[in-house]
Parts: sequence; structure tokens; C-alpha cells
Amino acid sequence: MNLFQPEPRGAHTPRPTLRSDEPQGEVEKGSMALLEVENLSVTYAPRDAPVTRAVQDVSFRIREGEFVGLLGESGCGKSTLGNGILRLLSPPARISGGRVVLDGVDLTGADEERLRGLRWTNLSTVFQSSMNSLNPVLRIEAQFAETFAAHRVGEEVGARVVELLRMVSLDPGVLRAYPHELSGGMRQRVALALALALRPRLVLLDEPTTGLDVVVQRNILDRLATLRHELGFAVLFISHDLGTVLEMADRVMVMYAGEIVEDRPAPDLVREAQHPYTRGLLGSYADPRSAEVRVSYIPGRPPDLSVEQPGCRFTPRCPYAEDACGQRRPELRPDDGGLVRCLVAQDGRLPRTPAGAGPGLPVFVGFPAAAGLDRSADPPPEQAVGDPVLLVDDVTKRYTTRRGLRTTSVDAVRGVSLALRPGRVTALVGQSGSGKTTIARLVTGVERPTSGQVRFTAADSTTEVRVDRLRGRALRDYRRHVQMIFQDPFSALNPTRTVGYALSRPLVNYHGLRGPAVRERAAELLESVGLAPAGQFLDKLPHQLSGGQRQRVVTARALAPEPEILIADEPVSMLDVSIRAEILELLGKLVRTRRLAMLYITHDLLSARLLADEVLVLNHGDLVEQGPTLEVVGAARDDYTRLLLDSIPNPFSAARRPG
Amino acid sequence: MSTPVPAVRAPGADTEAVQVATRVLGRGTRLPGWFVILWRNGKCRLGLLMLAGFVLVAIFAPVIGRYDPRDDDFDTSAGPSAAHWLGTTALGEDVFAQLVFGARTSLVVGIAAGLLCTVIGLVVGLTAGYLGGWLDEVLSFFINLGLVVPALPLMVTLAAYSPVRGLTLIILVISVTGWAYGARIKRSQIITLRTRDYITAARFAGDRTARIIAHEIVPNMTSLIVVGFMGAALGAIGGEAGLAFLGLGDPQTVSWGTMLNQASLGGALLSGQWAWLIAPGAALALLITSFTLINFGIDALSNPHLRED
Repeated sequence: MNLFQPEPRGAHTPRPTLRSDEPQGEVEKGSMALLEVENLSVTYAPRDAPVTRAVQDVSFRIREGEFVGLLGESGCGKSTLGNGILRLLSPPARISGGRVVLDGVDLTGADEERLRGLRWTNLSTVFQSSMNSLNPVLRIEAQFAETFAAHRVGEEVGARVVELLRMVSLDPGVLRAYPHELSGGMRQRVALALALALRPRLVLLDEPTTGLDVVVQRNILDRLATLRHELGFAVLFISHDLGTVLEMADRVMVMYAGEIVEDRPAPDLVREAQHPYTRGLLGSYADPRSAEVRVSYIPGRPPDLSVEQPGCRFTPRCPYAEDACGQRRPELRPDDGGLVRCLVAQDGRLPRTPAGAGPGLPVFVGFPAAAGLDRSADPPPEQAVGDPVLLVDDVTKRYTTRRGLRTTSVDAVRGVSLALRPGRVTALVGQSGSGKTTIARLVTGVERPTSGQVRFTAADSTTEVRVDRLRGRALRDYRRHVQMIFQDPFSALNPTRTVGYALSRPLVNYHGLRGPAVRERAAELLESVGLAPAGQFLDKLPHQLSGGQRQRVVTARALAPEPEILIADEPVSMLDVSIRAEILELLGKLVRTRRLAMLYITHDLLSARLLADEVLVLNHGDLVEQGPTLEVVGAARDDYTRLLLDSIPNPFSAARRPG
Repeated sequence: MSTPVPAVRAPGADTEAVQVATRVLGRGTRLPGWFVILWRNGKCRLGLLMLAGFVLVAIFAPVIGRYDPRDDDFDTSAGPSAAHWLGTTALGEDVFAQLVFGARTSLVVGIAAGLLCTVIGLVVGLTAGYLGGWLDEVLSFFINLGLVVPALPLMVTLAAYSPVRGLTLIILVISVTGWAYGARIKRSQIITLRTRDYITAARFAGDRTARIIAHEIVPNMTSLIVVGFMGAALGAIGGEAGLAFLGLGDPQTVSWGTMLNQASLGGALLSGQWAWLIAPGAALALLITSFTLINFGIDALSNPHLRED
């Protein structure tokens, strides 16, 4: 028995239908709009900062059963818009204009009690971080029970919950588990099952797969597509990840600086994006398997919305900008089967792009070409040589945990060997839990291997250092040669310390610099990572910098001791797609010019393809494939590598998709 | 705001945000940022004004009090009059002068014991939380012991059997019984902070443990330390009054607790000297109220959402 057939809809809650006194004239093409957003504006008015209009005059509709994507960089107002629709904004944010109508009910005017009835039965949501949206002290079972009880669903709850879990491919056993006992992907599937528990008609997904690795993401997205097909709910899918959005959505809205700048069916968007911003976003994608891979990035940042923007808000970053763009504000106008907010495009003067990304956008700084990092050709011969600076030799790391009387041991890494050479990037690719980070910990001396050796030879000496035997002072000295770039630039810098302080520590500790020399050298470091003029950045606190700028500061700090080895643990995964290429370009340049040996840890094969000379694929602690990047990515031999490759969301596959 | 930052951060992240906010707010004015936040809160402002009043009274006690609180040359057990606003004690001392000088004792005990509690709590909490392992086990045992043992009976016992009497003893007794709560909070805070990437980064930058704690961790928990100090000071003032009322205070010092003790022994209730009985209690209640009001503001300091209204 499938409890989720469309027939019994409305059995528990009387559903309001579109009333006759509502304006119906503008309902498009006979299909009723489930959600209508009319001129919605959201304003942040904090006490200590200027008033910001995060969402401005946004209007759109979602039809019954439609899958709509909402794309944009961080800080463009996507989540604010989502929370505005859900009426979940809390001060200092408030809806400052417009309305949201869900199936004839004006949500903007509804009181809390009314909303409480509508939420979850008509409109539900899955947030990005399911660890925080699930109650850590309740078993999964209890969380379902709570949801049903709150909406007075009494009968057959047990059977329904099992059915729900089956829908998201989870075993009923998870009901007895607490959230922390489940993996990130499982938790996110529980959250999805909870969101679907009362068969809502609209589900708002805010970055539901961000932070999960590709294979898990693929799994959840596939599940979502099937479920939507079976149950017929409408989706508003908010993400900065163009690949997933374009693959999943029927229609995509692109948001920039609080406005919708483009709105068109997904296949058309891939084929012929009309807004320069959309083109810029598309340019940050490429198929890692192609013989030649180019990605582009959009220089600059979204504008400060507390300042009135007279013209088009994208003008400062736009390669096609004309004089008029800076003065006249474009309207969102119908154009070629969609809507676009661009003066140049509306006049039909935007150059056409060939299908696909990169190459058609010479106007954005193309990363591999510009940096001389084009990996399409065979590797330059002089880079192939060079003695390894670090050797990992048949290393195994076993973790033993004791629970009660039983001891269980897990091999995080089994018999892995690798070599890091100066001027070369070695990528370590695999899902979370594959042992990538364990290898990084072994290389940095944080952990010791259970068996095997880690040997380091400094460039200016011939003596080998056994990293796996270092302790205390010797370990501290070794760290001078091995530095790290962290995944999350927001937690890698102390929020209470200035950039200058962060950079001064390694200089004082390893180079013995004192007084003004420290500041001078710190400024040089900042300029070497592209933060110029450095004086402007030295006294800033991390929160005053953007994500990309912070990652540059983190990189500068790692360079300060003049290390031989740089370990980059997912350095771009927390950054916006539009600037990932920028950071990768910087890292690539530093490796080549400073002859660094880099261990690049990632689950993202595209970035590995762009940056690395050599790729190692790890699966559950085993090295399953190893070789030059182009060989591994282009002609994967191992099933697991192929799985990783197939899991990458590919926006350009949407163009090939029927419909 | 959605993309790279996890939607909700661990509770520890909040205290980091507080430090940033206080730095930013302080920039426009000469006042420190934390003061701006406190002052903007109506309840907190009232509390600050009340506390300032007590501090002024304590500082200018000889001027305001007019008489020496130990001077017993006046009529005994007199009612309020123009010469003695709140009357005199059974020994012939001026009640008003005692009240005014009592503010000194309460504030000194509050500040000293509050500081001592905070320092002990900080040292124990930071050591246990940062180093972990068996040291954490041992220190946590003592923290738990300190939390479980009822404070007042322990204070009474310590004060009653100690060979010396004096304000220092009172302060020590209160600190020894009151540090555990702060230590526990600081320990859990440092456990969330020490796994931050910037701590690892500092280790990679070659910093030593002591420096990491002092320069990377402590600045991120100042608001917590301030809250801890306020709580400890509040408890200390009450604790001193309690001990003194039970007759275990320092006989040489005038405090509101000893005043209550004397009023009770001197038969204030029988002789109808309401002022003598009520004044020290009311002063104590007002001082504690002022601390409580200030704590409303400190809540806003540690929770940015409370600052918006």
C-alpha cells in the first residue's frame, strides 16, 4: 500500500483552494500558480549597521508540481527570499513590501496560528544543515511522532513512517537512532522524509546537499527526482551550485544582489544564457573528462546593498557593460522564452555563446589559459623530474575504539604509498571517510602510522627525517616545512585577531623577525597572494573580508614559514563557485613559482583536474587508482573512480535532457 | 549569507561573534563596544546607574556617613532623628554611618571574591578543557565536587573553625566554595574553541600552548568571563551577608550582614527600630538587584538577537 498516492489529499487538513475573489486574470496558461510572490522586498535594519535591502521587488510564480531552481552567489539574498516565503525571518530582517500567496492564502498577512497550520502540511522545508535541524536528544522515531502529533495525524503513524523512510532509501532501523549516530547524508535524508511527512504541496530546499560529498549528493538528488515524480509536489530549490540546480530544475531563476536577473527553463539557460552573470556562473563549470578544461571566474564581489545602486547592479563586474548600464536600471523583461534583466541583452546586442561554457567567455579571465596552467597538453618535461621531498611508504593507520568490553578496530588507511615532489600537485580524491584527512594528519605528524613510514627530506639537506617518529620540539621544527590551508576560511582565522597578527606569528616563530620587519614581510606575503595594497588589509579583522580574501590570507600565512610542502584540505569547497577558479589559479601559480610540493585533498574531481599533476583515488582507506591526472580522470579504470566521476552534477547534461 | 557558512554555528561561535561586535561598535565612539551594548539596554542602564551609586557611596563613605561607624558615644537604641537619620544601635553607633560604610565591605568582598573565583575558575577550566586527558579527569572531579557540596554549610563550617577572623578569610572561604560553576562553563567553552581551525593554524605557525590559550582562546571568551565574574560577585556579596548574619563575619568590619546580626541581637524588633532592621536588608537587596539588571544587558552582549529591540 502506498500511503502517498495523490487521492487522499486533504483528508487531514481542509486545504484552501484558490478563491473566486482572488485576481485570476493573470494565471498563466491555464495551470494554476501554487505560489505567487509579488514584489516581495526584505529589509535588514540592524541597530548597528546601515539598512540593507537584501531582497528587492521579487515577483515569480511556481506552478503545481513545478521544480524551480534559485541560483546565485552567497550574499545575493537567496536564503533571505526563502525565509521570507516561509515567514521565518527574524529581526532585524522583515518583509518590507509585497506579498506571498500560497494557494490563495496570503502568507504575508497570516497570523502565526494560521501559519502553523499551513507550514508542513502545505509548505515544508529542508535546511542546509540537518545536524542542526534535527533535535539531537530525540530519536528519529520521536521526531516523526512529534511532526504527526503537531498536525493531529493519529492513525497508522508507524506504517507511514516506515513508508517515508523507504522513500528516501533508509532502513527502518534508523528510527531507533539518534541524529549523531547517522552520517550527514542519512541525516539529510531523514530531514527530507520529515519534510515530506505530511505530503506538502511545496517543498523549499535551501542548499540541501551543500557540504555532502558528490556520491551522497548524487544519491539524494536522484531520490528527490523520483519522489517528485511519484508525489507531484512543487519544489523551490535554493543553491549556489549551478550543476545540481540545472540538472534538477524545470526552470531556473538567477538572483544577483537581491534581484532576479534571469528566469528561464533550465535547458534554454544552459544553451543560451542571456544575462552576463548567468554566463559567468556557467563558466565556472566544465566537464573534468574533457581533453581541455577551462573554467572562468567572475572577478569582484556583489555590491553593498546598503548603498543605493543607480544602474544595473552587475555593471562593475560585467564584461559586456556599456555606459548606459551604470545609469539606467534594467527591468526584468520577457525575452526569448524567459525573463532577463539586462539592457544589453534586451537590445539583442549580447554576443552569442556556443553551447558549453568557458571558451566562449574570453571576457572573464579564463583560468588555465591565463595562468599558463593549461593541463590539456602533456606535462612540461622539467616538472616530471625532481626528487620527492616527502615519501609515504606503505602506511597503515588503525584506529581502535573500545566500547564496553568489545574493541573494534577500523583501518582508516591501508597500505598507502605516495610521493610529493617540488613544483607538483598531488591530488588525493575520495568521499568523506575514505581516509584523505588521515593521510594529511600522518603527513603533518599529527598522527603516527600503525605501520609504514613517512620520510621527509628538506630541499637543502640530504638527511631524511622520519616524520612518524617525531615528537615535541622536533615536530614543531618539522612543521616549519609543512603548512596547511584549511577548508573553511571562516574558522581558520581567529575572529578577534587582525590579518597582520595572523601573519606575524609564523614570521616571529620561525624566522625570528622582530619589530617593523615583521610587518614589512607580512605585507609582502599579502601581495604575493594578490591582496594589494597590503597596507589596507593588515589591520583588518577577518569578518571584514570576503570568503575568497580570507582564503588568500590563510594561504599567505601558510607560505610565511617558507614551507616545502603545502597541504590543502578542500581549500575551495566552502567558497562560491564563481571564485573557486580564482583560488585554484593562485594555488597553481604558487606551486609552480615557489617549487612547492602540494597535497591537494578534495572530493571534487573538476578542481583536481584543474590543479593536480597526479591523482590518487582513495576508497575506504585503500588506494584504488593512481596516475597522471588526465589518465585517471579521462580514462578511469576503477569502478569507484567512475562512480565519483558520474556523480558530478553536470549542468550541460541538462541541455541534452529531453524537455 | 547562505552558501559557505553553516546555517547555525555551535554555541561557542556566538561568543566569537560577540567579541567582533564589541570591537566594531566601539569604533565610532570613545566608549568600548561592550559598554555601548550594555548602556542601550534600559534595564541594564538602570542597573549600571544603581551600581555606580553604590560605588560612589562606598568611595565617599567618610563624607556621606558623617560619623565613624564604630563611634559608640551616642544614645543607645535611639529612633531616627535629624542627628541620626536611621537612629542608633544598641551600642550607641550611628546606623546610617554603618550602612554607608557597609557598602564598602560588600563591594570589596564582591569584587575580590568575584575576581578570585574567576581566576580559579579560569585556570582550572582552561587547563582541564585545553589539555584534556587524565588531567581533565582529575580537575573535572574537583569541579564536580565543588558543584555538589552545598556551599552554605561548607562556608559556615570553614568560617566557624578557622583560627583567624577577618575579611580576607571571608573572601577566601567564599572563593573556595564558589569557583566550580565558572570553571565548568569555561571548560566546556574551551572544548568547543580548541578544535577550531585557527587553533590548529596557530600550532602550525609555531605558537606554544600558553600563547595559544592567552592570545587565541581567551580573547574569544571575554564575555563569558565577564558573565562569570558578575555571577561570582553576586554570590559573594550574598555569601558575606549570610555569614555575617550568622555571626561568623569579621567582628572588626562593618558590613550589612553584621548590621543585620547586631540588629537581631540588639532587639531592634522589640524596640521598634524598623530603620535599623530594614536599611541593611534593603541596601543588600538593591545592590543585588542592580547586578541582576546588569545581567540583562550582558545577556544581550552574548546573544546578538537580544540586541535588536
